[in-house]
Amino acid sequence: MLVENRAGGERALLLLILLEIAVFAFTGPNFLSAANAFEIVRLGTELGLIALALTPVIVTGGIDLSVGSMMGFCAVAFGYLWRDAQLSIAAAAGCTLLVGVAGGALNALAITRFKAPPLIVTLATYSLFRGMAEGLTRGVDNFSGFPAGFLYVGQGYIGGLVPAQASVFLAFALFYWFLLHRTTRGRAFRAIGFAPEGARWAGIPVQRRLALAYILAGFTAATASLIYVAHLGQARADAATGYELLAITAVVLGGADILGGRGSIWGTLLGLSAIVIMQNGLRVSAYPAELAGILTSAILVIAIAAGRRTKRVSRIPAIEENTEEDMKNSQLAVLSAVIIAGSLIVAGTNWWLVQSVTGKAPIPGVSPSIAMNPAPGEPAHKLTIAVMPKAKGDPYFVSCRLGAEKAAKELGIDLIWDGPTDLDPAKQNEVVEAWITRGVDAIAVAVVNAPGISTVLRKARAKGIKVLTWDADAMEDARDFFVNQATPQGIGDTLADEANRILKGKGDFAIITGALTAANQNEWIKFIKARTESKYPGLNLLTVRPSDDDRNRAFSETQTLMKVYPKMRLVMAISAPAVPGASEAVKQSGRTDVKVTGLSLPNMCKPYVEAGVADSVVLWNTLDLGYLVVNASKQAVEGTLKPGVDSIQGGRLGKITIEGSQVVLGKPLIFTKANIGQYDF
Amino acid sequence: MEGCRSTTEYNRALLLEAKRIEKSYGGVRALRQVSFGLLAGEVHALVGENGAGKSTLIRVLTGAVAADGGSVILDGRPITDNSPHRSRELGIAAIYQQPAIFPDLTVAENIALANETGGLFQLLRRGERIRRATELLESIGAEIDPKRDAGTLTMPEQQLVEIAKALGGKVRVLILDEPTASLTERETGRLFEIIRKLRSEGTGIIYISHRLEELPLIADRITVLRDGETISTSGATEMNTRDLIRLMAGRELSAVFPKREVPIGGTAFEVNGVSSAVAGISGITFAIRRGEILGFAGLVGAGRTQLAETIYGIFPADSGEVRLDGEGLSIRNPGDAIRSGIAYVPEDRRSHGVAGELPVRANMTLSILDRVSNGPALDENAERLIAGNWISSLQVKTDGMDERAGSLSGGNQQKVAIARALATGPRVLIVDEPTQGIDVGAKAECHRIMCDMAAKGVAVMMISSELAEILGMSDRVAVMRGGRIAGILERGQATAESILALALGESNQ
Amino acid sequence: MTRRLIAIGGLWLLLLGILAVRAPNFFAPENLRDMAITNAPALVVSIGMTLVILAGEIDVSIGSQFAVLSVVAGILAKSGLPLPMVAFGTLASGAVLGSVNGLLVTAMGIPSIVATLAAMAFWREFLRWTTQGAWVEGIPATFQWMGLGQTGGELAIVGSAAILFAVATWVTGNLKLGRAVYAVGSRRESARLAGIPVSGVTFGVFALMGAFTALAAFLDTVRFTQVQSSAGVGLELKAISAVVIGGTSITGGKGSLWGTLMGVVVLAAIAPALTFLGVNAFWEKAIQGAIILAAVVMERAAMKGDRAHAR
Repeated sequence: MLVENRAGGERALLLLILLEIAVFAFTGPNFLSAANAFEIVRLGTELGLIALALTPVIVTGGIDLSVGSMMGFCAVAFGYLWRDAQLSIAAAAGCTLLVGVAGGALNALAITRFKAPPLIVTLATYSLFRGMAEGLTRGVDNFSGFPAGFLYVGQGYIGGLVPAQASVFLAFALFYWFLLHRTTRGRAFRAIGFAPEGARWAGIPVQRRLALAYILAGFTAATASLIYVAHLGQARADAATGYELLAITAVVLGGADILGGRGSIWGTLLGLSAIVIMQNGLRVSAYPAELAGILTSAILVIAIAAGRRTKRVSRIPAIEENTEEDMKNSQLAVLSAVIIAGSLIVAGTNWWLVQSVTGKAPIPGVSPSIAMNPAPGEPAHKLTIAVMPKAKGDPYFVSCRLGAEKAAKELGIDLIWDGPTDLDPAKQNEVVEAWITRGVDAIAVAVVNAPGISTVLRKARAKGIKVLTWDADAMEDARDFFVNQATPQGIGDTLADEANRILKGKGDFAIITGALTAANQNEWIKFIKARTESKYPGLNLLTVRPSDDDRNRAFSETQTLMKVYPKMRLVMAISAPAVPGASEAVKQSGRTDVKVTGLSLPNMCKPYVEAGVADSVVLWNTLDLGYLVVNASKQAVEGTLKPGVDSIQGGRLGKITIEGSQVVLGKPLIFTKANIGQYDF
Repeated sequence: MEGCRSTTEYNRALLLEAKRIEKSYGGVRALRQVSFGLLAGEVHALVGENGAGKSTLIRVLTGAVAADGGSVILDGRPITDNSPHRSRELGIAAIYQQPAIFPDLTVAENIALANETGGLFQLLRRGERIRRATELLESIGAEIDPKRDAGTLTMPEQQLVEIAKALGGKVRVLILDEPTASLTERETGRLFEIIRKLRSEGTGIIYISHRLEELPLIADRITVLRDGETISTSGATEMNTRDLIRLMAGRELSAVFPKREVPIGGTAFEVNGVSSAVAGISGITFAIRRGEILGFAGLVGAGRTQLAETIYGIFPADSGEVRLDGEGLSIRNPGDAIRSGIAYVPEDRRSHGVAGELPVRANMTLSILDRVSNGPALDENAERLIAGNWISSLQVKTDGMDERAGSLSGGNQQKVAIARALATGPRVLIVDEPTQGIDVGAKAECHRIMCDMAAKGVAVMMISSELAEILGMSDRVAVMRGGRIAGILERGQATAESILALALGESNQ
Repeated sequence: MTRRLIAIGGLWLLLLGILAVRAPNFFAPENLRDMAITNAPALVVSIGMTLVILAGEIDVSIGSQFAVLSVVAGILAKSGLPLPMVAFGTLASGAVLGSVNGLLVTAMGIPSIVATLAAMAFWREFLRWTTQGAWVEGIPATFQWMGLGQTGGELAIVGSAAILFAVATWVTGNLKLGRAVYAVGSRRESARLAGIPVSGVTFGVFALMGAFTALAAFLDTVRFTQVQSSAGVGLELKAISAVVIGGTSITGGKGSLWGTLMGVVVLAAIAPALTFLGVNAFWEKAIQGAIILAAVVMERAAMKGDRAHAR
């Protein structure tokens, strides 16, 4: 209402959304259904709440990068209050909202009272809140087992169709719409965004209004964290990582000006829809998830550039009205052409080289045997099996995929391989939802968060889809079978045994893990500790350090560890990139008395194992694992794998034992100098 | 009128020529077919009211804005692709009214950046720069440490740095836009010496000033601009101040300031011994009666705006008291001031007065949001009603109250700012440079509005740098100098000379 | 030296004091050497980030660029090109990536935070898509340490960063170019009136940022025999934090490379220092955030009261 020239941008955005819907209706089976529409609402709720909260902040010309971290902190606080402080759910939720308000107030204090730039303040609290969540839980602790009444908020359906959280989202959307567009506060936000000094001169209490925007953002983030916890059934320190950037993207795409003043709730909702519909549509169409990020950023640039074509804006508004360019148009055109050509060349060669180097067809998500659009009612119906890794980019899962694709080819089935690009439990749920919508025959999931994903898996089973889990299990009643390559205990025991063997029964060692919050690794560490304490009293675990699944970080941590603990004789790296990182550090230090062991892939460790730096690497055979997952899924659909069976034919793997509902692949492999050369993955 | 008759009297070479320059800003024609010639070795004064197009003409000459039509010719060759960079290379230097300094860089760096015309890979010699800066500053008699951050300078000091900047390079054409507005007499004298020296070396100087009295001292020729048109060019000695004013205003002085006599009541507003270190004012004491207009004169940087902003709660006062109708006020921020009955129309219209991106009606109600609300909700009907009333009573020319305030002309924007202040129903109205940069018609209306307010018994504090306005509108005149009130003159005593004497501090020397 | 730097310096000295008493090994030459090598790439990107922020802009895409450029370096090395060509190819690619950002900001007028936010997501997802997480393996042995041997390579890495720092410091202090960057960040309109090519300078700092990111990626990858494709996550936050801790104003125009050096040193030391002190790793992120917040608040608190020159 107050902002002119907005309608054009919104119309374009609306058009984009319609285009998305049209395309996905064509490519994605069942994309156009009421159930899927409501799923989109459910998946967009947490992100949407954050985007709503950021809209007034951005309208005042500020920014809040801390909202995602605030969600993590609030989730952990809620878990503590409920489980450890023994508060009722309602009281714990109330206190969590207060925590959110306090967090927002901290931002507000630094921004209004100390006049510090919002970008820096919230960058600092972005680290602070996430760090406090990690510190409180020591990375390990997480909270689950919430009562059903609470979980309903995140998982239930009103009237069997409308997701419960939609009501919360609607309430907040209405509230924010009213606040921003219909109240004097909203008018003040806009005035502050357009002319901070002018607003002050007009007698508006600028600092108080700014504080309100940030405190409300904290409150809304806390609300979003409660829904997030109810949605996934678990409160963890890494909740909502990266939400802030996606939410800012939604707000800006919706026409808000990052410099302040312009922005509307309606626009934010449109921007949010464009993003969420695209994510859902790509999944339902079984297109690779990475496309979502690529397309969203491209759309963002195009949308804003189109809106600004006539008006040059810098972060510091020009004093004068003139709009002359320093560069002349012709020069600019040539320069643009050169740079665009250059970036195409960089991107193209990168693509081509990666392809030639890895020897893989870089058509992710859809392997060549898959028809993009199986027309309904096609005579020879091929089975469609959807397999999800914990994280797509992880080399460990990349090698699983090779095995899975091999099996798909042998068995003549369609394989969909997709999942989150980071370890993100919420994303896993979204992908499963999309597969249910699409209608696949079997789903096999490497579970990141058991209680969180179990609800959607149950839903899939209810729809007649066979559900398997692999690598890590969900709740037992949520799946048909678990392809168990090695239990956490098996891995922990094997690693502890290896440590004992290398240290010959006596000595100090340290563990380098992945992210501090990674559930898998924390589980393994638990069993490593248990085994060394009970069986190997001579071994002494010095410390556990994080590597964030980054080879370079593992490298630096190992360097430091060697200096802090000169008597350390073994580094146990339990994240795939950490083993080469630790090995390189040991190699460069020239210390031959320190050895490395751990859990990784043979190819990336080969040079170190062969050089004797890494004594051994533990892993189950990932190629076989991927192969077996697809094979078992097919048999589950066809009925040869059913309860009561005690073995199946695993293709080239031979006879596979079934124990109860577990398909057992066997013991982990141990790669040493003697055998590592035989493996190539 | 007299046109180019006098050009023939000068047989020196035509250095810079502007031919039929045309420039519009969003529908407002700032320059209409303006032509102007500058000879080598002359000081050519450019006069005209605010908004007459002087600054725009200068911006066209220096390439800071592109003209819509016409051409700029240097040494007989048209300058194509003019830009600040190019004009600087050609030897055209300008000092703008608003100092274009870099607050985060030192004075020496500011001076060097403007003068070292070499490419970006040119080597800097820091010692050399400081020596050069010191030299330049000394040459204009300014005592400024070249190593200071320019952001810490006062307004007059910044002006001096600007002059030093302009003098630093190879200058063939020097353009000075109100260079003396904030200078002391001594500094002004020094500046004139420099100008005369440059003139004798063949430099052409365009000199813009509102101080008409100093023109005979320095100018060779005078060109008058009015409403974006060249009105006349003549020898400096051929014109007296009165003629100039007549040409500039296009009417007699009295018609411009329709001061109405209104009954003056008892004391309404008292300021007793107010000091503020941050604002740089001390020991301010004055009182305004109901219906009275107290004019505040003084040089730029004398602390008038700072005083107004201290009263208004922008700056904290260290001591002193402010009373309204006998009641002591405690004002910590503008909101307090507004609630106490003090309204302020700020000097800097663009950043303080109106929010250009907001519609007219939103601007008018920005200070009274609590009065156009239903609980927390904004009452749009009330807002439209109030805005509509002000638009008609102040005769704001808009396409409607939903129009973006920034797209209005300067005078109408000022009316919007005034409406915002008046909407609060003030008992004390502070107006700061109320008619700066607005056209003559709007100016008269602003004056009418002030008189109307006075007639309603409002105490008006009017800050103005335009002497004629001060003399025409004020019942009494307070003159400030160096953050203090140098004296308060009754209407009868107030003349241009007496005000200037107080402002420049001559009476004390 | 700004107040923020003094505030940080105080906290920093306190930390060093504790280390000197509790874990003097921290100051062992090998540890300092290792820290220097590991953080040389961080210093290189922080220098670029300082210039970007001084010019009044920001670049949040460098983490993703870093990953792309690491892979580019690895692939070029693997394809058997001689080392100088690998280095050149990487730097040129970096300059191109930076130029894309520069164009988005100058020619299309997109605020830099939005433009580089888009670039950040774009390049990261692009890389994930093309590599599918695969590493570049089988790089010729001569790539590691640039064929200079470990000691020589280490010297070369630290030396490159140090030379870049020296050159950047000299250029910002002694060439008009450097002053132009400050001027553009200090007040755009004044810079334009002073004849500084504002768009050119803005474009230039982004292109340079890309090239510096490439150099950092190169210096980082030559320490290893394989290239991971997921490097650089969070690098932009680290660089921005270093610049901000170093006292550079986030709105541009004010700050120094020396401050940034100090910021890099402070951030580089936190993680190892906590390990040396036996502090649990879980609090690391919180401590880092608290330090930045404390620095900003302390500076602002000290600044209160002398806002006189603000007008």
